[in-house]
Amino acid sequence: MDLMQSQEQDAIQETVRSFLGKQLSLEKTRRWAEGDAAEGLDDVWREAGSLGFFALALEETAGGSGFSLTEEMILFNELGRSLAPGPWLGSVLAARVLGGAERAAVVDGSLPCALVTIRDADRFEVEGGRVRAQLSQVADAASARALLVYDAADWYLVRRDASWEIASQRSLDPTRVLSSLTCDSECAVVARGESARSLALTATILSCAEAVGGIERTVEMSVEYGKVREQFGQPIGSFQAVKHRCADMAVRAEVARSATIYATIALRDGVANAAHHVAVAKLLCADAYLQNGADNIQNHGGMGFTWECDAHLYMKRAHGFDHAFGPRATQLEALVAELRA
Amino acid sequence: MDLTFSPEEEAFRREARAWLEANKPAADERGEEPRQRAEFDRRWQRAMFDAGWAGINWPTEYGGRGASLMEQVIWYEEFARAKAPEPTTLFVGLKHGGPTLMACGSDEQKSFHLPKILSGEVVWCQGFSEPGAGSDLAGLQTRAVIDGDDLVVSGQKIWTSFGDIAQYQELLVRTDPEAPRHKGISWVICPMDAKGMEIRPIRTMAGHEEFCEVFYDEVRIPRANVVGAINDGWKVAMSTLSFERGTAFLSEQVRLAQLVDALVELARETPLESSPQRQVALEDEHIARRLAQCTAEVEALRAMTYRSVSRTARTGMPSAEGSLIRLFFSELQQRVCRLAMDILGSRILRWDVPRGEWDWVFHYLLVFSSTIAAGTKEIQRNIIGERILGLPR
Ligand SMILES: Cc1cc2nc3c(=O)[nH]c(=O)nc-3n(C[C@H](O)[C@H](O)[C@H](O)COP(=O)(O)OP(=O)(O)OC[C@H]3O[C@@H](n4cnc5c(N)ncnc54)[C@H](O)[C@@H]3O)c2cc1C
Repeated sequence: MDLMQSQEQDAIQETVRSFLGKQLSLEKTRRWAEGDAAEGLDDVWREAGSLGFFALALEETAGGSGFSLTEEMILFNELGRSLAPGPWLGSVLAARVLGGAERAAVVDGSLPCALVTIRDADRFEVEGGRVRAQLSQVADAASARALLVYDAADWYLVRRDASWEIASQRSLDPTRVLSSLTCDSECAVVARGESARSLALTATILSCAEAVGGIERTVEMSVEYGKVREQFGQPIGSFQAVKHRCADMAVRAEVARSATIYATIALRDGVANAAHHVAVAKLLCADAYLQNGADNIQNHGGMGFTWECDAHLYMKRAHGFDHAFGPRATQLEALVAELRA
Repeated sequence: MDLTFSPEEEAFRREARAWLEANKPAADERGEEPRQRAEFDRRWQRAMFDAGWAGINWPTEYGGRGASLMEQVIWYEEFARAKAPEPTTLFVGLKHGGPTLMACGSDEQKSFHLPKILSGEVVWCQGFSEPGAGSDLAGLQTRAVIDGDDLVVSGQKIWTSFGDIAQYQELLVRTDPEAPRHKGISWVICPMDAKGMEIRPIRTMAGHEEFCEVFYDEVRIPRANVVGAINDGWKVAMSTLSFERGTAFLSEQVRLAQLVDALVELARETPLESSPQRQVALEDEHIARRLAQCTAEVEALRAMTYRSVSRTARTGMPSAEGSLIRLFFSELQQRVCRLAMDILGSRILRWDVPRGEWDWVFHYLLVFSSTIAAGTKEIQRNIIGERILGLPR
């Protein structure tokens, strides 16, 4: 039993953090959010590929590093901490389910895959190896060369072709660009049945890992500000109303982190009730992220209400996270069903 | 990162389970009267001690098993699973008096007291709080004057759990009233039968007797009973509190999972008064969701516990994150018991009926203390803010 990172895992964390600090800093992400997409994601993606980030959990014979889901969890912690944009999750999942040259392209960073989960308002009609799709709120579509689509039953891969029409939509979360997308393209099923369900659990837990990084960052931000901002002649962090809010934020972060690590290892090792642990983690991470996101704004006062302060970005990410792979109510219902069974 | 137990740990678990099944006494023999409870606890502790199950992670030289903190946790898990009765009157000696002596006591103090504590021969109590010094413990006023080989103690303590049944007390006294608050305190082992002591039980809001007022009128305690140096008692007390906050509640944390399981069963069989068709509570959407939330949180608590034990295994120290867990645990425990009240409905208003295996109403009353004793939840938040997060005082 060991729920702490090893030294090797610390080293992976360090590598990812310094890469993101250089290549995908929050300032850079903000510039993109303001519409300055000139720099594009292509170079970043290739470098991430050359560092092996899309293939941490693949066997070495498949072009990977022979690590596992726990190391991917660390990657996503860091992505979430810095609110890194880009189709990370779709690419990491695609590297798992594709084979041959396609997989190699995902792994080396030349085939970024955006993840799409079909919503009620979407159209996604598959027939005879083709799909006619009309999608809304697709994240990272512009930089994607393919879509990895989950329709709550099966997973599909849709390669980009001339039929794609992408129009950007304004997004609540400026660090996560959304678009509408229509296409009439070739489409292949890449996972179904048990393996589709297992891929969905992997997707869910990695988004929890991403949330954990953001949740921990909200605690850091509040604590840093609490030490330097002075009112009434003293740092605001010395006021208990602020200090105790920070303490509660820290507790929530530890709850979210512990539940996520536990579920990640359970899933990695194929523990029988891993799906249950994933639901627990998803519920508690969403509780923690939404509340910490809001508290972090409050701790920053008027500054917290500005566009310039990063606090709102984490709060907005929290909402996006809540809606990915089932909001809190869905997770609670799943747990309720288990209790009633 | 790993969720499995080693073959040795698994073997340990099997052995513990078998022994507990064969040897645990029934909890209902325990009685309510404090002396009777202590008698029961001491016999039960003695049985565990004789069979080698006391002090799983205590060093063998003090009669412990010399095993890891993880095995201690496994023991608590099996203990909870077997519904073995917790020897609560021995809490102070086993969970923080003993560990404090191990960390700060002299060789004579250790060899005299530790085996007695571990074997259940003696009950210890804690004399820290005073009427004027609760959260602000360093404000304590009970005086000790050094007179030859003795300390002469006068003053008053309060909220001393098990004070009326204990043989020894971990007592904090002021030995230098001129020194700054934290510098003039000493940590002393006080024999509870010393002359000049008066002990008066205080009734709790749950109606039972658990803690006492203790008055000291020129009580002579041998100077050899001071643990650590004279006037260095604050440091010793901080060590006591680090055990109290770090590891002392591990068994309660583990036990809470059991309580939530019982709550699910309660919800499955209890018709809900507010439901027109008297459907059982588990069928009610609101109750069921709160229950699901509790089960999720109690699982997170377990993961947090394993994580803090993993951390301790790396560093060899009780982790400061203990305060995070303590705060989360104590509030969760209260939510769980509150939910039980909502499930039970108006039947909780009557007290003179059999209260069942889980004694929900009594439990509900009891856990009001878990955000007060061992540092209130406000003090816990101060500790997290200042010592873990580094916010200014
Ligand atoms: C069941 C039980 C068993 C106990 N057993 C023992 C025992 O065996 N030995 C022993 O020595 N003591 C024992 N205690 C005492 C316990 O440690 C104290 O009750 C506790 O430390 C609080 O002190 P107090 O009661 O004086 O409350 P106070 O310190 O007067 O607190 C009153 C309220 O003010 C708040 N408050 C105080 N200071 C601050 C602050 N700085 N910031 C914010 N809020 C603050 C508190 O959080 C609380 O809400 C026990 C208590 C209980 C309930």
